[in-house]
Amino acid sequence: MKKIIIAAGLTSLMSTTAMAQNIGVSMALFDDNFLTVLRNGIEETAGQRDGVDVQIEDAQNDVARQLDQINNFVASGVDAIIVNPVDTSATQAMTDAASDAGVPLVFVNREPINVDTLPDNQAFVASNEIESGTLETFEVCKMLRAQGLGNGAKAYVLMGELSNQAAVQRTKDVEDILGIDMCSFIEVVDQQTANWSREQANSLMTNWLASGEEFHAVIANNDEMALGAIQAMKSAGISMDAVVVGGVDATQDALAAMQAGDLDVTVFQNAGGQGTGALDAAIALSKGEPVDQKVYIPFELVTPDNMANYMTQN
Amino acid sequence: MADQTSHGIGGLSYDTSKRTWPNEANVFIALVLLILGFEALGQILPYMDNQSMLLDFESTRDGTILNMARIRIVILQVAIIGIISLGVTQVIISGGIDLSSGPLVGAAAMIVMSFAQTELVNGQLNPKAVFGDWAFDLPIIAPILVGLAFGAFIGAINGSLIAFTGIPPFIATLGMFLICRGISQWWTKGQPVSFPSDQFAAIGSGMMPVVWFALLAIVLALIMKFTVYGKHTYAIGSNEDAARMSGINVKRHKVMVYMIASMLAAFAAIVLSSKNLTAQAGMGQFYELYAIAMAVIGGVSLRGGRGSILGTVLGAMVFGVIQSGFTFIKLDAFYQLMAMGAIIIGAVVLDQYRQRQSSLR
Repeated sequence: MKKIIIAAGLTSLMSTTAMAQNIGVSMALFDDNFLTVLRNGIEETAGQRDGVDVQIEDAQNDVARQLDQINNFVASGVDAIIVNPVDTSATQAMTDAASDAGVPLVFVNREPINVDTLPDNQAFVASNEIESGTLETFEVCKMLRAQGLGNGAKAYVLMGELSNQAAVQRTKDVEDILGIDMCSFIEVVDQQTANWSREQANSLMTNWLASGEEFHAVIANNDEMALGAIQAMKSAGISMDAVVVGGVDATQDALAAMQAGDLDVTVFQNAGGQGTGALDAAIALSKGEPVDQKVYIPFELVTPDNMANYMTQN
Repeated sequence: MADQTSHGIGGLSYDTSKRTWPNEANVFIALVLLILGFEALGQILPYMDNQSMLLDFESTRDGTILNMARIRIVILQVAIIGIISLGVTQVIISGGIDLSSGPLVGAAAMIVMSFAQTELVNGQLNPKAVFGDWAFDLPIIAPILVGLAFGAFIGAINGSLIAFTGIPPFIATLGMFLICRGISQWWTKGQPVSFPSDQFAAIGSGMMPVVWFALLAIVLALIMKFTVYGKHTYAIGSNEDAARMSGINVKRHKVMVYMIASMLAAFAAIVLSSKNLTAQAGMGQFYELYAIAMAVIGGVSLRGGRGSILGTVLGAMVFGVIQSGFTFIKLDAFYQLMAMGAIIIGAVVLDQYRQRQSSLR
């Protein structure tokens, strides 16, 4: 009797496998707030599409683990794979693993290095990281000018994890913007990493405040660190009207801080939209339907003027 | 010389004149040397304009000669991990190790914050609400009790596994490390939990983390020095068999040691989430290692039986001085990590050397 039940169970399992679209997803990191929104976007969309099952794995920021996950997906015969690459320069091996097995692959959120040579059954959906830091820093620059500091202003820069592509790119964006004539009046007092973390940014900012140096802006690679810096400045009794603070991500916490007048600039990246776009591309590819191989979803600047549009987005 | 010889446990005799230099004094000297080193760099490095790290000669900011802002942050930035390291210290003294404290902080923070949320944020409904209406603005005791109970639960599992199945503490707490990471991500599927009530936010605001750290350090130091609990912990760490034969209930005691450690880690999570006004699944990363490192720098021996809470507090201060010192001289974080690694290794090498010296006497 037991055997019959097990056999029946197995058959039903196998039959669902045959009917449903099974899509394997390898995320770079579960612990990341932004990537969590993206992940939820994939899951929610999967729930809305008929007969689509997603299995989501955490690569824990480990390139080797991610490649293993892709090979495991291939081995278990998924219909398509979505990869949020840990390291954008290590994507060729993933492309090869999937294309050798004839499994469609979609890269999401981070642009793979081999984006121009992707096989026909692979695609990528992402935002162009150069936009985020550029939009943020340029707005900070304009705000400082508007405050009449066009003859000289000082800023601290909070960097994300140094091994992370987005942190490196956004910091370079800051340097590039401060290099143009209109914004070269801004001098960076110091730039340090706070590893994307609110707690670490709070400590770092408090350390900076202890040196007593004058400054007018804090430019952070993400919102969490901007919020940490804001908490540190508030504890030290600094008026948030006197400092321009910028972040990236437009998280709920950040928008609440903007509403309270503490945060001045953030940048919205449509995480849910990227998740939905990636899943739809994966479904289409697995059915052999044609898709756009490169889908760019633009970053959007968020300031107190337009923040109302973003309150329910991330 | 005869009158300078004392008799210790088990008929061991030692020369009292050679025992007057406590290990904590070494850590303290290292701390002072570090501070002097950074002060010297502040004077020598050309881009530093002869700044001082801990002094403020013009008394511009606090009206005192001390740069109080810097002194405060030196302690504040290590206070929360310091609370964890107090618990870890007694685990290590008992001859064990606890690798699960960092992920426990993450998991406990997520759970605690779900019971500490406020209803209205800037006049609108809390966008990060985890539960329904009933969980908004609960009395502050609710999240605290939930957190401590969770800590006690995890600690009881750790302790029971180690005491009753006999698996090494390293393995038991390594397993719990992964379990707690999983719990913290599963609780809200990775979504951060934010916007606590004002009362909850007060637990970790301003210098409160330091107050908690100091209070708990004093309590733990007294317990370890003057109570039966403390004496049994040292006895088990020095020689477990001897402790068992002398009638100590070793198994029950170990469960208590791990429960106290995990409850301290859970309390650290309460302070941390309150200070940051948010709880996130990735919180507490590497805290277990920093907590162990603080204890080790403070002279707590990984072989068990030796060390003190005072040593660990000084070890935490060493961490704080390094962290602030490197920001003070504007050196990047990677040099900071390298220096910390070197200091941890150096501290243990020195300690081994000292132990060998004293056993040769």
